[in-house]
Amino acid sequence: MSETKISTAKESRRGFFGSFSAWLAAAVGAVIGVGPVCVGLYTFIMEPLRKKQMPRKERDGGSSDPGFFRVASVDEIATDVPRRFTIVADKLDAWNFMKDQALGAVYLQKNEAGDISCYHTTCPHAGCSVAYEQDSNAYHCPCHNSSFNLDGSKLENGGSTNPSPRPLDTLEIKVDEATNTVFVKYEDYYTGRHDKVAK
Amino acid sequence: MFGKLYKWVDSRTGIQDSLEEALYENIPGGAKWRYVSGSMLVFAFMTQAITGIFLWMNYSAGSQNAWASVYYITYNMEGGALLRGIHHVMAQAMVVLLPIHILQVVIEKAYVKPREFNWWLGLVLMKITLALGLTGYLLPWDQKGYWATKVATELAALPPIVGGYIQKIVVGGNEYGHFTLTRFFALHAGVLPGLLVGFLVLHLAMFRKHGITAHSSEKRADQMFWPMQVLKDGVACALLFGLVVYVAIIHPAELGPPAEPTEPYGAARPEWYFLFLFQMLKYFDGSMGWNNEFVGAIVFPGVVFGFMFLMPFIARIKVGHAFNVLLIAALVGGAGYLTYEAHMEDNYNIYNEEDVDSAAYKKAAKYHAEVERADTEFRLIQELVEDYGIPLEGPLALQQRDPYTMGVRLFRRQCASCHAYNATGENAHLAIAGPEIDPNAEGPMGAPDLYGFGSPVWIQGLLNGEEGGITSPKYFGNTSHVEGEMVAHVRDTMWAEAETDEDKAVLKETIEQVSWALAAEAKLPYLDYAGNQDKIESGINHLNDDTLGCVGCHNYKENEFGYVFTLDHYASSEWLTTMISNPNEVYSEDWGTANDRMPAFHSDATKLLTQDEIELLVRFLRQDRTLLGDTPESVEPLQSEAPAEEAETAEVTETTETPAPAESEEDTDETPVDTTQEAIEEESAEEAEEATEE
Repeated sequence: MSETKISTAKESRRGFFGSFSAWLAAAVGAVIGVGPVCVGLYTFIMEPLRKKQMPRKERDGGSSDPGFFRVASVDEIATDVPRRFTIVADKLDAWNFMKDQALGAVYLQKNEAGDISCYHTTCPHAGCSVAYEQDSNAYHCPCHNSSFNLDGSKLENGGSTNPSPRPLDTLEIKVDEATNTVFVKYEDYYTGRHDKVAK
Repeated sequence: MFGKLYKWVDSRTGIQDSLEEALYENIPGGAKWRYVSGSMLVFAFMTQAITGIFLWMNYSAGSQNAWASVYYITYNMEGGALLRGIHHVMAQAMVVLLPIHILQVVIEKAYVKPREFNWWLGLVLMKITLALGLTGYLLPWDQKGYWATKVATELAALPPIVGGYIQKIVVGGNEYGHFTLTRFFALHAGVLPGLLVGFLVLHLAMFRKHGITAHSSEKRADQMFWPMQVLKDGVACALLFGLVVYVAIIHPAELGPPAEPTEPYGAARPEWYFLFLFQMLKYFDGSMGWNNEFVGAIVFPGVVFGFMFLMPFIARIKVGHAFNVLLIAALVGGAGYLTYEAHMEDNYNIYNEEDVDSAAYKKAAKYHAEVERADTEFRLIQELVEDYGIPLEGPLALQQRDPYTMGVRLFRRQCASCHAYNATGENAHLAIAGPEIDPNAEGPMGAPDLYGFGSPVWIQGLLNGEEGGITSPKYFGNTSHVEGEMVAHVRDTMWAEAETDEDKAVLKETIEQVSWALAAEAKLPYLDYAGNQDKIESGINHLNDDTLGCVGCHNYKENEFGYVFTLDHYASSEWLTTMISNPNEVYSEDWGTANDRMPAFHSDATKLLTQDEIELLVRFLRQDRTLLGDTPESVEPLQSEAPAEEAETAEVTETTETPAPAESEEDTDETPVDTTQEAIEEESAEEAEEATEE
């Protein structure tokens, strides 16, 4: 400590971090500055990553095989022509629980042998929704001209580019012979990648 | 390296000068702990802004979503309870720090010439802080916030001429609704913090212009703000933050049941720091002729605030400063005293346990009962939310289907003026105080206690001729039945004839069996019928053989010569529905005095309750919490000797029951189908038809 006030004031001006208390003050200041931010950031980051739980009485929705959704009966699926089906399931949106909501859609088709194939309606390029067009007998994306054959492979559309990085995403299906019902393992995939990676 | 980079940045930004400008403020007499209050307020506000923005990321204004989103933050979100807790507790810390800061400024004479403007800016900041507290209280849209804020906005209508307009503008229309929330939220999260930041900047600029009020002293050297005062401020703020986090953890921010405009909340109180204003309103007597509520709520606080505004000028006259110090001390003291008084009034029953009969005790007890009721209602809705999630229509849509919440509410509204519901044990939280029945008084009220109505225990009490049985207020209360044939029969015949202890033991056993046979008529979901088959069967035989003399008056199964109401389906869903809708349909017509006073709640003539409400009440009385709109699980009390053809039906029942979760009633699993069930259903259908025809 200096003897006169003025010299104290001048001394401390010499170096911003010229004393131990200066470092301490900075440290304490930093800690209290980030305290509330840390709590807030924690909730902000953790919440979207957290696994959500359905309400107690609505869990599993009666399906013995989680992830598979009932979409159609086998008879409803046309041969060699894709038909669009909506995936209906219970939905949890933050605090709201809703029964029987449309989660998304798939295209289902049968070949002559009766094998069923299932395609996600989301374009692997940038996530727009593809649609089957009868004129060209192909799937077309309305956004960036991605097009796909009926077997899901990329369509060579004469000269114009096809920006999709991969074929249309197929989805696993299960047929319950007893009830003649088709179940789809519905999941979303990251777009814009060459590999099909589930979200 | 760091030094070079710093120089590079500094030469382009002037960061060094800014920092020096900001931090090298001379403090005459050196850094002191008592200078920390201002910095603490700034820190508290920063914390509110930060936690507030993160809460905002999860909050949804609007009367269907507000409660739901706050519930989600508090009970589902990782760290959400702490985040909301900090915001909630720091708000209160701010209101505690405010008067400390003000007192300090006044005592140290920091408000006088030339710092008038800074004093006024401080007063504005205080008002903004209080407004933030007021607007924030409503946002969770729970019963407490809703009804307390309602009082505050009612007061907004008090000023003559413009009052009504002010209120409509604040509330967003005539009634509370979406706009009230969207407006309050915009004020709370946008307008008020914005204003606060603006005025805070001016407040600080003004503070820097005039410097610190303290004078240099010979004893202690002057110091710069940096680093010693910053350190002291920082330590104080760190302690504050630690304390706030601690309090937020041990006393998490509460959430009440969702706001229900049709269900007044009897314990509505503003946040504790507004309690002194709340208390003050009690002193402005309504009979004083002029609009004294206006005076109490607006004029008087306005005058006080006006005085505070004028304090720098008052200080100029002789002893003016002393007057100001006294005034502020009196204000803080007065507010403190009023807060204390409000607290004592609400807790009179706790501090004066013996004074049970006083009005003050009863009022405080009522207040506590209301608080407890809100806690119960919250726990009930919490159970529903965990079981079913919150529907899109909002929490009320779920709550209004709950026989427990709505049962209690409807019972309180329509039944509790005569009936009590003295729930005990695990249902104790559903107890509803009915009228206090003095058995000696010929009071106008007092009908049976309906807790456990139709259960063996309840019926055993009814058939008990001794003390605490049928003659107690629990059963016939003050109705004419106290002197009726039923009491006479039980007391003077059944029990008078049992002279020896042996006789009584036999009688008690018979009564127990009969009570189970009657309870089998009720098909109550909470009873263990499967484990009491023997009693039920013996009871049925006793009734058919008329061991106790019941079927002399009552009909029961094949005994059709009774002249009072039938015991078939007694206390069953249908029976209760008919009883509540129109009691005169239960009693046979030639028994004129049977219904002493119970009104019809849903008949051709009256619609005191809707059919849904009656359904909720019936389920509540049967302790069946199946939500309105869902079909209760069927209860089959009597295990039949299952003839061959029954087997198929039994299988069907089993398959439909498979998804029953583990939490369901234990005794429903093994209930096979009753042979007589179809017959009973037909009968009840016929009865219902008859009822509608009448």
